[in-house]
Amino acid sequence: MTSDDLVVHLARFAGVLREHGVEVGVGDEVDATKALTLVDLFDRAEVQRAFQIAFKIRPRDRAVFDTLFHRFWSGGRPDARPRDPVPVPGRITGGALPYGKVRDDGPMVDEGDRRKPATDGSTPGYTRDVVLRRKPFEECSAGDLADMERLLARLAPRWAARRSRRLTPVRGRGLPDLRRSFRRAIGTGGEMVSLARRARALDEPRLVVLCDTSGSMDVHARFLLAFVLALKRIARTTEVFAFNTSLTRLTPSLAPGRIARTIERLATDVPGWSGGTRIGESLMEFITKYQQAYVTSRTVVVILSDGLDRGDTSMVGVAMRALHAKARRIVWLNPLSGDPRYEPTARAMQAALPFIDRLAPAHNLESLELVVGELGAP
Amino acid sequence: MNPDIESLQRAMEDLGYVADEPIATAVFLAREMRKPLLVEGEAGGGKTELAKVLARLIGTELIRLQCYEGLDVNTALYEWNYPRQMLRARLAEDEGRNPSDIEALIFGREYLLERPLLRAITRTGGPAVLLIDEIDRADDGFEAFLLEILSDFQVTIPELGTIRAEHVPYVILTSNRSREIGDALRRRCLYLFVEHPTLEKEVRILRLKAPGASEQLAREVARFMQALRGRRLSKAPGVAESIDWAQALVRLHRPHLDAEAVAETLGCFLKDRHDVEGLDRPAIDSLVADARSAGAQTR
Repeated sequence: MTSDDLVVHLARFAGVLREHGVEVGVGDEVDATKALTLVDLFDRAEVQRAFQIAFKIRPRDRAVFDTLFHRFWSGGRPDARPRDPVPVPGRITGGALPYGKVRDDGPMVDEGDRRKPATDGSTPGYTRDVVLRRKPFEECSAGDLADMERLLARLAPRWAARRSRRLTPVRGRGLPDLRRSFRRAIGTGGEMVSLARRARALDEPRLVVLCDTSGSMDVHARFLLAFVLALKRIARTTEVFAFNTSLTRLTPSLAPGRIARTIERLATDVPGWSGGTRIGESLMEFITKYQQAYVTSRTVVVILSDGLDRGDTSMVGVAMRALHAKARRIVWLNPLSGDPRYEPTARAMQAALPFIDRLAPAHNLESLELVVGELGAP
Repeated sequence: MNPDIESLQRAMEDLGYVADEPIATAVFLAREMRKPLLVEGEAGGGKTELAKVLARLIGTELIRLQCYEGLDVNTALYEWNYPRQMLRARLAEDEGRNPSDIEALIFGREYLLERPLLRAITRTGGPAVLLIDEIDRADDGFEAFLLEILSDFQVTIPELGTIRAEHVPYVILTSNRSREIGDALRRRCLYLFVEHPTLEKEVRILRLKAPGASEQLAREVARFMQALRGRRLSKAPGVAESIDWAQALVRLHRPHLDAEAVAETLGCFLKDRHDVEGLDRPAIDSLVADARSAGAQTR
């Protein structure tokens, strides 16, 4: 193989990696090409290692990468292009998501409305909203979803934040900022007339949402996901996962745009949508694959589930303990607990209960609005 | 295998760092391609040590920037020595100098406090090794700032002008994956994930780092740790813990693993209350038995 062929082949390999959901950029291809000139081309293992380093293959993509590498660089038939897809567990393999069409929902924050309690029905024109707020999700139609989008857009002001350790310039009270004070003094002929100050910046809390999309949650799941998408708009770093019998990371496929359309697409993409649930196994999968990266002491973990489980309930306790140790708070939103007669008797719920900081109902919009304030607060 | 990589591997081992092929290849590529190397992996896997060894290997200075939440440019890059500047300005005024002279005087290099990043760039006499440790602890904003430095290796100080790197430093970034590193930064670097070592590698490491331990003890400790990592722990022990433990056992004059010694020295490698409680006497007994019998077989 001449070196030109090698470069072409490498580009194809990068393409195949991308097709299988391994994020590889053009810059990485350049790195990989350079790396190839530095290693022993007759040593396959060494080439594989060099690629791993140059393509920046993360541990979670390692298995896919190894399989593809062996298929693609098997010597002999360098042009053999693998056709059949490699199964990738827990990842949405589908076409690229269409970008664009970022829809702005008009004015997000309406200061006037915010101050009024959510239950205030006296405002003319808002009676419909009050009804909608209290309407159980089971009775909502697809048409209601569009109206709900509008209501959810007003969640933002309820969002509470806390102070970060990073210092940013402020007026008024704060620690003296010598660097800026000194620079400012230049304007007054070297005399420090006033001290510049800095204080701790406001810090957006981070959210990780785990949403149960199994059959028993089906009537709720769409509305809860709409809620999650609205949250993602106000807290951009929010990570979203769907689980049923296994776990799927949804964040990459959450395009900004119409909530209803996004949900339709998710329903077709997520394996096992409306199937059974294995809460323990799914949480465990989350812990081994993603906890390190997404859960810190600043993270609030939100679990949306009815706790009806077909899996190993003892694992629920183990997983919840591990999560609890890492996260700032665990909030469990249960659509069933809107019923005043509800007792958390489901076995999975029992196992999880000691590690939940807040168990809240999630059967209608009003209940969700109430809980938003707590997601942000420390 | 490329003979250069092989010799690099040997040289690192001579300096007390057991590098397997992936590590040696990564260090080799980072050195040849002059790209930063992002090293991820569990705590106690020898990520920081890698930078130290690289510095000794090249025979240069190691400049370390420890990241933490709230780290800002003043601590990472440069700061003016304000008290000294102010004193000098007062004195110059008394001497009757004119203002532009004073300004030139107090914004000179000797009033500049160089923090690690600037020091790595301005170092004369060969490139330094710059270790940016635990980058995952810094804010995302700092990461974006690093991008600029790592691609241009130049810094602009308003009062002094632009300072270009005399020698582009070798850069190693480490992360414990307490948060995902931004894609842009990852793309600027080469990437290495350090896994827990294989049994053979761990034995070699222990023999190097705990010279007092016999081959048999090293093998038993390594076996024990390998089995322990297979259990469900909230904090799996790394190589650093293995080394501590082996050294502790040597100090206690234990030529062999036995259940009693393990129970006494549990704190060397288990650092979480649940994990310690989870490892009861029967569990220790069976782990020790496995470690010893396997150790005997291989000899």
